[in-house]
Amino acid sequence: MLFMSAPLENEIFRALADPSRRAIFEAIANGETAVKDLTARFAISQPAVSQHLAALKEAGLVVGRREGRSTLYRVEPRGLEPLVDWISHYRAFWTERAERLEKLLEKMDP
Amino acid sequence: MTLTETTSPGQTTTLSFELELSHPREKIWRALTEPRLLSEWLLPIVELRLEPGAAFEFRAPEQPGWDGLVSCRLLESREGELLSYRWVAGGIDTVMTFTLAASASGTRLSIVQSGFNEAQKQNFGGARYGWKMMTGRLIELLGRAS
Repeated sequence: MLFMSAPLENEIFRALADPSRRAIFEAIANGETAVKDLTARFAISQPAVSQHLAALKEAGLVVGRREGRSTLYRVEPRGLEPLVDWISHYRAFWTERAERLEKLLEKMDP
Repeated sequence: MTLTETTSPGQTTTLSFELELSHPREKIWRALTEPRLLSEWLLPIVELRLEPGAAFEFRAPEQPGWDGLVSCRLLESREGELLSYRWVAGGIDTVMTFTLAASASGTRLSIVQSGFNEAQKQNFGGARYGWKMMTGRLIELLGRAS
């Protein structure tokens, strides 16, 4: 369990590794956003925005819904949970390792 | 042993711990740098050179979801005081920093795991994702969105 990299977590990292995709994600996290608003705001082409959205959707970070002729995206609140879990894994790891270090120091030659 | 987690509240880019140890600094330094000792408490390692830029790796048994490897590169080493190296596991890029300081009970060891600074990113290759992307801000935004 320790070092994560379960496929889902890797997918989240991959999706958020790209700075413009991260910016798009942050924009959506501020409230439901239409694709055209993202295009206008980030001055990138609609196909590029769609590609970023597809990656975010694939990683479970956002969900979209149709409304008339536009698609609105909002954040999937549980999407980042694997990352939070990942931090908890490391927290548990270092706590346990600290105990092992203390035991080792006790039995080492001075 | 007193282990205190000193991670700031809401912080998701850095994990930090402090340990009060009743042992001299020199001894703790050995536990942090000698492969045989490191293997006993941290993870199995064969060789570690204390030269900036030197690459080394921890190799643990493979587990589901993790190949067991931690690829490292030494960033800074000051004998008995500070040891810092990149820690890349499961494709995620972080930095470990161990700091030793004299304290009333012996030595205070601080262990900090933080996001890798993009500006320092060079010659390490591969598709790696920095831990620092998990900013508190994203988590905070999420809190608002839910």
